[in-house]
Amino acid sequence: MPELTYREAVRDTLATAMRQDSDVFLMGEDIAEMGGSMGVTHGLVDEFGPERVRNTPISEMAIVGAGIGAAMQGMRPVVEIMYEDFLTLSTEQIVNQAAKHRYMSGGQLKVPLTIRTQGGAGWSPGAQHAQQLEAWFVHIPGLKVIFPSTPTDVRGMLWSAIYDDNPVIVFEHRLLYPVKEDVPDKLEPIPFGEARIVREGEDVTVIATGPMVHRSLEAAEEAGRNDVSVEVIDPRSLQPLDEETLVASVKKTNRCVVTHEAVTRMGFGAEVASVIQYQAFDWLDAPIERVGAKFAPLAFAPVMEQFLIPGSEDVLEGIYRTVGRNGD
Amino acid sequence: MATEIKLPRLGQGMESGTIVKWLKSEGDAVKKGEPLYELDTDKVTQEVEADATGVLLKIAIQEGEVPVGQTVAVIGEQGEEVAIEVAPEEPQTEGSRAPARDDERERGQEASAQAEPSASGSEPQSRSNGRIKASPLARRIARERGIELSSIRGTGPDGRIVAEDVERAPAEDQFVAQSHKLEVPGEIEIVPLTSIRKTIARRLTEAWTVPVFQLTVDVEMTRALALREQLVSRMGDGAKPTLSDVLTKISASALMRNRAVNAHFDEEGIKRFPTANVGIAVAAPQGLVVPVIQRAESLSIQEIADARGELVGRARDNKLRQGDLDGGTFTISNLGMFGVQQFIAVLNPPQAAILAVGSVEDRPVALGGEVVARPMMSVTLTCDHRTVDGADGARFLEDVKAFLEEPGLAL
Repeated sequence: MPELTYREAVRDTLATAMRQDSDVFLMGEDIAEMGGSMGVTHGLVDEFGPERVRNTPISEMAIVGAGIGAAMQGMRPVVEIMYEDFLTLSTEQIVNQAAKHRYMSGGQLKVPLTIRTQGGAGWSPGAQHAQQLEAWFVHIPGLKVIFPSTPTDVRGMLWSAIYDDNPVIVFEHRLLYPVKEDVPDKLEPIPFGEARIVREGEDVTVIATGPMVHRSLEAAEEAGRNDVSVEVIDPRSLQPLDEETLVASVKKTNRCVVTHEAVTRMGFGAEVASVIQYQAFDWLDAPIERVGAKFAPLAFAPVMEQFLIPGSEDVLEGIYRTVGRNGD
Repeated sequence: MATEIKLPRLGQGMESGTIVKWLKSEGDAVKKGEPLYELDTDKVTQEVEADATGVLLKIAIQEGEVPVGQTVAVIGEQGEEVAIEVAPEEPQTEGSRAPARDDERERGQEASAQAEPSASGSEPQSRSNGRIKASPLARRIARERGIELSSIRGTGPDGRIVAEDVERAPAEDQFVAQSHKLEVPGEIEIVPLTSIRKTIARRLTEAWTVPVFQLTVDVEMTRALALREQLVSRMGDGAKPTLSDVLTKISASALMRNRAVNAHFDEEGIKRFPTANVGIAVAAPQGLVVPVIQRAESLSIQEIADARGELVGRARDNKLRQGDLDGGTFTISNLGMFGVQQFIAVLNPPQAAILAVGSVEDRPVALGGEVVARPMMSVTLTCDHRTVDGADGARFLEDVKAFLEEPGLAL
């Protein structure tokens, strides 16, 4: 079992796909010699050459647009948007083109495009380089959206993204890149729409995405010391969503906390809470708690940034609210 | 002007009753004479009617045992203030307090912790303007187990009833719940003890401590059957007379001639009654009940049939009134229709005697040196020996036998 960081796991999947399949190629800003601003594609240009690891002009609209064109022509491009904040510049291509062509052509065209991007706060990047914008894209029919939280998950799910015949947006998180984990010897594809029960528990289900999975595990440990048994579930793929696993867990625990680093209001968690309340209404023993960022632009100042984004202590408070306790 | 509705005394010796269910909710309009709630006394379950017209402002006792005379509800005009001392733990009514501000609501948890009940604290805390705060799960469990949420005190945030509170609900309810849960065929079914069942158990156990003796006679029924057929052929709109009705009439006549049997044993002395109020044992769905035909000695058989028809109908519908059960001086228990030839009935205290009636069947009888078939019936009298001596019982049975064999003698 090799130990890989999240960053290495992404690179391993890209390299493995490119080695076995000449249709797979990469495009993005500074991804070649520089290896991308987060170093994810480091060294790939040496193995695969500038034809398949292509630096682009600073135009997100062009990057995604070119990717869509190549995909419709039968390639399996993987494009990188340096910060998910910059997805805004390519939104026309993603929402109006990539998500629509297969439907509008009556299935004659396919867009097997993978859009990798990263974001997230916690290292003081400010209001324009740390947002979590997954909620905008899970709202669009025709797109698949995944948010893996571990090296194993990103390795298997990025593979499924590359070989999916539909556009897939892969959200990575800046703070997850150094996370290490033993991964399977052989790359195993992980299908979409299957949530992962990260930790089993009896009293409360915490549904968490991205970095909040790890923060929720810390909160679960702490709650356990107060005799509150917490189940942590990572949906992993936000669209499609594994409603069955989430609902089954809440039917077991009767309580639910939904958490993501994105702003709480109108966030992905609102949809999850709706799914839970509708399908597990008669099993709920407490209101569903939502834990996310406060409704404000992210601050540069580290203290203020930490105040805005949710941490394990916020998840813990949410857990205690559902069981009607203060934790002391 | 609000009227306090107090638990009425519905019969002699009634000290308390158990409110089973309210037929009206708080806020409902109520008319005088309308059924208001169901009350379980040790004898019957009956609907109690409202004794005022207005709006049901307050239900003070949702369910459970209540002593006679206690206020169980208040009827008045819409919006009228209600102040009753029965439930000091109830939240204050609207108007007596400024509306809660948001921050107050947020501190609700503290507030409810402060309101943590003193000694009497069985009163629910989870109400707000009549709406009970309970989690969906708590509601579902309560629904499945037939538990009234209003009887539960919530321990969740803001006094919300959570699943754990319902799980801890009264043991009787849990019995029901467990019997619902049994899924495997052949499991033991637990039938909860109703008031009536408890009363039957207590009274019959009591009866077992009485020194009793039994006397049996065989009666030739040829003429009694003919009499009944005659009555049926001439009947009008009333109930069809049965052999039981004939027996009731005959017994009443025999009782009037044998007052020693028409009696109650009482610590003050033996009470001998001037009228024959004959109880008829009826197997009602809720259990054995004994409605009484008052002054049977003064009624015709057709009148007895009419009275019996009405009482049995009410017993089957569980609609008997306390007055239907009061004042019995003697009881007849007839199992003849089930083909039972002869049996011994258990005394119905404080009554001194009970007559157990078997089936009518053709039996060989020796008559004038020859064996012939005749319709025969055996009756067995159980007597309280403290009240009735052997000869008293025997004379009574002698009369019963004579009247049945020659009904004209009873007139």
